[in-house]
Amino acid sequence: MTTNTQTTKPRFDPNSPEIREYLNDVSHQFVREGTMVAFPTCLPGVTMPIPLDESRITAIDINTDGHVYGGTSCSGKAGAKVHVFAAAFHNLTGVVLDVTAADDALAGATECVAVCCCEVRKWREEESEEERKAARAWPGAIAFVNSPRSGRAIFVPHVDLAQDWIQEWGGDQQYARDLGECVPGEPVVHAVALREGRRIVGVTSRHLFTVEAATGKASVLGEVPGRGRIVVAEYYVWGLDDNAKLWSYEIGTGKLQRGVVSLPSGDWDNGAAIRWASSKWGNVVIADASGRLFRFYERHGGSFHQIGQTHLAPVYAMALAPDGRVFGGCGDEIANLFVCEPSPINRPGEVVVAPPVGSSPAAASARNLGVAASVFEQRRYMYQFGDAVVGRDGEIVFAENDNGGHLWLYFPSLRAVHVISG
Amino acid sequence: MGSSDETERELDRRSFIKAGGALAAVFAPALTAQRALAGVAVAPALRRGGFAAREADFGPAEGAPYPAKWYPFTGHPDSDTCWSLSVGPDGRIYAAACAESVPGGVVKPTRYNEQRDDLDYLFNLAEKVDDPGDSGRATQCKIHYSFAPSMHDGVMFMATHLSGPPIDLPVYSPWYSWHDAKRVFRGSALLAFDTKTVQVLWWDTMIPKEGCRCLLHDEERGLLYAMSYPRDHFIIYDLKTRKHRDLGRISSINPQTLFLDKKHRVWTSSDYGRIVRYDPETDRLETSPNFIAHDLNYQTGWHSVFYDVAPAPDRESVYACTWSPAPRLMRIWLDEVNKGDGWPRVEDLGPATQPRDLNFPVDLYRDHCGGMTFGGDGKLYYVASRWYDPKYFPQLKGAKIETQGVVWRLDPETLNREEVSQLVHPTGEAHYVSRGAVDHNGDLFFGHVGNRPSGIFKVSMPADRKRPNAHLPIRMWG
Repeated sequence: MTTNTQTTKPRFDPNSPEIREYLNDVSHQFVREGTMVAFPTCLPGVTMPIPLDESRITAIDINTDGHVYGGTSCSGKAGAKVHVFAAAFHNLTGVVLDVTAADDALAGATECVAVCCCEVRKWREEESEEERKAARAWPGAIAFVNSPRSGRAIFVPHVDLAQDWIQEWGGDQQYARDLGECVPGEPVVHAVALREGRRIVGVTSRHLFTVEAATGKASVLGEVPGRGRIVVAEYYVWGLDDNAKLWSYEIGTGKLQRGVVSLPSGDWDNGAAIRWASSKWGNVVIADASGRLFRFYERHGGSFHQIGQTHLAPVYAMALAPDGRVFGGCGDEIANLFVCEPSPINRPGEVVVAPPVGSSPAAASARNLGVAASVFEQRRYMYQFGDAVVGRDGEIVFAENDNGGHLWLYFPSLRAVHVISG
Repeated sequence: MGSSDETERELDRRSFIKAGGALAAVFAPALTAQRALAGVAVAPALRRGGFAAREADFGPAEGAPYPAKWYPFTGHPDSDTCWSLSVGPDGRIYAAACAESVPGGVVKPTRYNEQRDDLDYLFNLAEKVDDPGDSGRATQCKIHYSFAPSMHDGVMFMATHLSGPPIDLPVYSPWYSWHDAKRVFRGSALLAFDTKTVQVLWWDTMIPKEGCRCLLHDEERGLLYAMSYPRDHFIIYDLKTRKHRDLGRISSINPQTLFLDKKHRVWTSSDYGRIVRYDPETDRLETSPNFIAHDLNYQTGWHSVFYDVAPAPDRESVYACTWSPAPRLMRIWLDEVNKGDGWPRVEDLGPATQPRDLNFPVDLYRDHCGGMTFGGDGKLYYVASRWYDPKYFPQLKGAKIETQGVVWRLDPETLNREEVSQLVHPTGEAHYVSRGAVDHNGDLFFGHVGNRPSGIFKVSMPADRKRPNAHLPIRMWG
């Protein structure tokens, strides 16, 4: 019975261009470009996903085989624990395997702050059992977890993911194990694997340290404030120092220098809200706590060039795609996906601010791609980003830092190339 | 300002749901073995509408005896839905006259007045919580499965939900406007309404920026439990401190109900058809290894979230139906889990509605079951839709109303069910029932969604099936 007796009179003209644009924009508010696919933390139909409040994925890394290793954080309530896992999405894989033991090395830990993939070592059939045993002792990754009392390194076994996970697979269950505290009594803030994959550099609340993949042994490199995440570039590892500066650790020489580069004008006080992204070629982008995006050039003494501004802040995760675009998630509670597309027309000092939702011109350098959602495999919204890496083929792998967290593959929209025929 | 003719048009709130993909499947015979593997116990088929439902199972019964009467929300002409209908601590029926498709629309709680045989409009909720419909924000437009009684003091708690657009916009999306301070919903308003004095004693914003999809009251512990929308977070509100805690997300699709067991554990479901429970002892949310009932021929469990849950009078089990195509009836044996720490046995009682073509998704507003409540006769009552389908249900061809709301009576002892009434709207359809309740006189009431103004149905119980205080023990959730 539609009586048309409605008494509240709307105050808009439904035919106005503004309302039409609004409606159009609302109807395109999810994943405006590209495609997202959410993958659960299991081999679907074979294993169970990581429990609801233990699956907030806060750290991931990718190895040279294109396999992803990651770790979760948990509520910290009695019985809840963090997990570490290995995942693969190409060839005949499509699997996330939890390698957390039931009686476990991770007991008491509440957060995983970093996972660092190690060199991929493969043994040949003709090698001796001794050699194979040694290869199996080589980690797939080393994870760093914190409990209320300490920050510890965790050996994450190399998992043989390159199998036929459609039809037949094999292998024994493998477990993570504790490698001990990194720096006694200090929580780990972040860590990165050096490019050769045999050594990791990390930072605690007060110290820079290193862990050898072969032995799992940690040693202190020097004193730095653990103000936030760190990044490995071409020649150096960089981190936030006091007084809006960066410290540097020279990989080749082991030289640690404090306050070596000044940060540009920006919002650097809250180090926990600052994010880095780097490419395998050593290109680096940094986001300040207000979502300003800068390209960082470590050569010539270190310099910055602002390339964009996200429409929400802070940036929770971002990755630098091989084509130079920066993809990430920004904003609290219900984050938005964004892309920053530095353009050749940007001049040093030029700042392009993302326009409001719905009026994003194609030429903008940081655009709102809307709320993340998956309609393949798992039908799910994604609200909170934990970490990001570039996948094997340039797709972005996002870690979902939320209850029931998934690994999300984002396949960016291809860029059109105008070919002039001869 | 826009023309009123155009702005008054019905705004289709189903647009999000309609975006769902096709569920291509083959209607193959159900396999008992599959059910066992899924952890779903097999119950004897219902006399009508068992597992292998035949079209004859859903046909109109002869001489359905219970008369039904329609009470439109004429006192709130904006109303388009009634998402909440519950019995209050005073044994009377409360219903929410919601206005969610109306820009600037607000909800007005109503109460059935048995002396006048009509509805009393209690108050304009938006005015009570200082969030008027013309604020420019998303409005306090509805109460969605969120009445919860308080027996010791005669209070009826109610919490608001979102979706009503700001007065100067045609639609509202909480995802789109989450970061827009001008537009974002202020938050779910929780009100304590004194049913004796007919006054709002106090109110609070229970869930900032989000709506309350469903509400539960644990009276012994002084706690309210809620599911937030859109983020699907599990919320605990302490009535003593008037502070809320957020235990985090469950899924993406909101479960439509929460329910309570004797150990004060709170139960609901996930997107993937698993049971989720909150245990106050551990303060954690846990997910079951087993599934709630769904059709194993073509459903995976996805979207099999609880729609409505009615407690059995002895509180040893609950009866539930899903919010999914082919809504599934089930009985969940909480008595077994009350004895230990395991997960309850789920007894599949089969589909609530008719077979259909599985090559195309059915409209979730057509294929529906809700309004579950126990009557004074100890039988379960619920309303399920029935519609004309040229292949699977041709009997309704040419009928005045091609989609019908059928009131069913299910005997928990035999699992036999019988059709006892049909809800008839004066001019529209009457098949989408949100909630049902029995009042202190033993009569049935059902909230209806759709048409404007919306309203409720009263279904009079035969005298031999009524009893005084039939609403007790009272249901503590919306």
